[in-house]
Parts: sequence; C-alpha cells; structure tokens
Amino acid sequence: MPESDQQKEDLSIGDIIDNQLETHDKRKIGRVADIVAEWREDGSLVLTDIVSGPQALARRVSSHLRPIFAFFLRDRFEHRIPIDDIDDFEPTLHLRKNAADYEVGQSDRWIADHILRWIPGSGH
Amino acid sequence: MKKWLSIILGIMTATGGFLDVGAFATAGVAGAKFGLGLIWAMLLGTVAIILLLEMAGRFAAVSGKTYMDAIREDFGFKFYLLPLTSELIANSLMLAAEIGGIAIALSLFTGISWHSVFPVAALLVWVLCWRAPFSLIENVPALLGLVTLSFVVAVFVLGGPQPEVLSTLWKPNIKQGELANYLYLSAAILGAIISPYLLYFYSSGAREEKWSEDDLVANRVTSIVGMGFGSLSAIALIFLAAIVLQPLNISASTLGEVGITMAKPFGVIGSLLFAGGLFACCLGAALEVALSVGYNIAQGLGWEWGEDKKPVEAARFNLAMTIFLLVAVAIGLIGIDPLQLALFGSTITALFLPISLVPLLVLMNDRQYLGDKTNRRFTNSAILLVLVIAFVVAAVSLPLEFLSGGG
Repeated sequence: MPESDQQKEDLSIGDIIDNQLETHDKRKIGRVADIVAEWREDGSLVLTDIVSGPQALARRVSSHLRPIFAFFLRDRFEHRIPIDDIDDFEPTLHLRKNAADYEVGQSDRWIADHILRWIPGSGH
Repeated sequence: MKKWLSIILGIMTATGGFLDVGAFATAGVAGAKFGLGLIWAMLLGTVAIILLLEMAGRFAAVSGKTYMDAIREDFGFKFYLLPLTSELIANSLMLAAEIGGIAIALSLFTGISWHSVFPVAALLVWVLCWRAPFSLIENVPALLGLVTLSFVVAVFVLGGPQPEVLSTLWKPNIKQGELANYLYLSAAILGAIISPYLLYFYSSGAREEKWSEDDLVANRVTSIVGMGFGSLSAIALIFLAAIVLQPLNISASTLGEVGITMAKPFGVIGSLLFAGGLFACCLGAALEVALSVGYNIAQGLGWEWGEDKKPVEAARFNLAMTIFLLVAVAIGLIGIDPLQLALFGSTITALFLPISLVPLLVLMNDRQYLGDKTNRRFTNSAILLVLVIAFVVAAVSLPLEFLSGGG
C-alpha cells in the first residue's frame, strides 16, 4: 500500500477536528468544527466532508444549543468541504482551492466590504 | 552582529515594557500601605513571568504554533472557551485601566481632567492597533518606558529606606483588620506581573516575526535579562512609595498620588518622568492587551490574523479587536478610578491564572510539539507552585476584601 494511503488509514478523529483550514492561496479560513461520514453498501463508514461553522461548534458545547442555533442561524453559516479537497492531513489542513472558492471564511470578505470599508485606513 | 543587536533591542523592550497600570497600581499601594512587606510577591511574580515567557517563546519557535492555536487543537473547542472567557473578563477590566492610565498621564502633562482625555487615549490606542506595524507596537512604547528606570535612581537620591522601613522587608507591618487587604494586594501583584495576555502576545509575536529554533538563545536572554531588569522599576516603585508616601499617611488611592513619589526627589522633572513612564508603559500594555484578545479569538477560531496585514486582509481579527476595545472603553467611561480598576482586574487575573497557564504546562511537556526542547522538572514544579499560591491567595482575599468593604 502506498505510504500516503497508509497515513490516511491511520488518522484518528483528533487529527482532523479543530485543525486549521488553510487554502491554496495561504488564507486561514476557519477550523474544522465537525465531520460528516456515511455508511456505504459494503458496510464501511466513510468520511465524506468536514464542517465549519457556529452551529457545529454549538452542538459540541451542548446538544441543547443545537435547536437554538439552528433557529437563529438557519444553516447560513454552516459550510461543508468535501474531504477530497484536502491536500494533506497535517495539523493545518491544506485545501486544494483558493479562499474565494469556499463559502467558509466569506464572512471575512463581507465584513471588509460592508463594515471596514467605512473606517479610514482599512485598506479597502 | 544583527542577531546581537536584536537581542539588545529585545532586552531593552522587555525592560521598558515590564510595567503596566497593574504594576504601577499594586507597587504604589503596596509600598504606601505595607512598606517593603510585599516585595516577596513582586519577586515571586518576576521569577514566574521570566519562566513563563521563555516557555511561550520556546513553544512558538519550536512548534511553529502560537499558544492559543495549540490550546484549540490539543484541548478542543469546549476547553478553548475557558481561557478565552477568562481572558475576555480580566482583560476588559485591564484594558479599561490601561487606557485610564494613559489618560491620567496625559492629565498630569496637561492639567486637563483624566475623564476628559480618556476618549483621546482610547482613540490613540485604537489608531495604533488599527494600522501600526507590529515592530512599532512591540518596540516604541517599551523603549520610551525605559524612563521608568529613573525610579531606581530616585531611590538612591532619597538615600534608600530608613531602618524601620527596611525591617518591613522581612517583618511586614500588618495592622489589625488589614490582613484581607494584604492578601488582596499579594494576589493583585501576582496577577499584575504574571499577566497571561503577555504570553499570548509574546507567542503570537514570535509567529509574526517567524521565529525558529535559531532564536531560542535570544528568547532565553531576552526573557531572563529583560524581565529581570524590568522588575527593578517595579521594586523601586515599592521602595519609593514606602519611603515617600507611608510616612505622610498617603494611601496611594489614585495614580496621581503614586506620582508624588517622584516629585519628592526630582520636583517637577520627577512628576514629568513619572507621567512619561506611566504614559509609555500603559500605552504599550494597552496595545498588547487589545492585540492579545484579537489574537486569542482569531487563532482559536482559525481566522486570518496579523498586525502587519491591512485591516481588510484580516477583517474578522480587526473587527473583534475593535469591538473588544469599545467594550473596554464603555467600562472605563463608568468612571471608576484606573488604579482601583487595575487592582481589581489584577486580582481577577490571579484567580484565573490556573485556567490560562495549566494548558501551557501540559503543552511544554509534549514531545510531539517540542521534541527534546520540553520543560525540565524544576520549571514545571516552580510554575505549579506559583500558580497554587496565586490562586489560593486570590480565592481567599477576594471575598474577604468585598466583605470588608474594599481597601
């Protein structure tokens, strides 16, 4: 088995959860809040996506917070990234695409365009 | 040559940047009330912060991670909320007090009431946080803060302490009913000197400046020599308050009263030196506190951060820092005297020290991060001991201080 495949097999959930997400153009866009896995017909459980966003984080603090956050945020800030987009599983997860290609971290741009642009010296 | 110049600059900035409003307040009140009887707390705090800063710098240089990055990745999101919350509470009080300290310094220069110049001080802090490069924030206020070494000169000019003052060094004069206040001040001194914001700022600064293992010697020399020299100013301020204020029964209830200590040996020049030192140290500390909170939030949540980036390039980091600054300004505008706010904030900091520092001890013994650069047993034991002392003293003294109606 190739070494990289062996490394992927040996990953534990702790190697993914809470790790930094960095895009191809070296932008830090967030951290992994949760993972999504699916049962396959052959009986295997396969990791398909990573999740980033406040709702997933709230779930980790307490399951009671889940409906409250879901009601107020309505999944608007909950974003999934397919596992195939991850180049390598170091403590920083390097993504294949640029920041503009991901919904995660778009709040940075929104804040820059709608709030910071009105403040002198923001560089907008 | 360049490396040695950098080390010398590091020593000078650590020396000049040692004091903050908490150190000014606690040193002034401690000397005025208990003579030299609380120097032990200042020395203990200095040893602890030397060890802790060296650790935070070593961690960032070897692992390539900041302290808050590692807390989130190693301890998880739920745990990360604990140090974040404790830092938000303690630092909002301390930032309000630091801005108040700048305002009082401006007031000493101009004669305008500190309440009136408070918004100017806050604006100055925000403008520098908003656009100043990291090197300016790290170096300029701290270099100006070297003026506080004049406190050491003042002790000699006054001829040093009289024998009855000197004896309080080993036999503190604690009058009946003042034990709670003595313990409260002990905790406040430890909280003021062992400020966790310094560690978050220092480890983030190490990443801003891209430290590597080649910088470990500079890190060690800067922490030990710089902070060691820096503590001289704080200790000198305790001596000055004991020599000048205690015989006059001035309790140092405001920073202006603490300033009398320098007016006695040097007259008007002394007052200006005190105001200059207060201004530089509080400005430097205010910038560090505000930035450290921005770093803590951005690093913990994985956002883009960095003081050398334009605000729009790290938008969430800069917005978080600005909102936090506004909260601190709101606290400051309530009008509580910065000295009292600093005493309270420093004691709260001491109470929260285990939350902020135990993770560092765990990480500093993790070979995955540090390889063969992990802590030695002596360092672990020394820090644990200081943490227990600071926590117990703060936990005991805070309720007692409230029950007795405050100092």
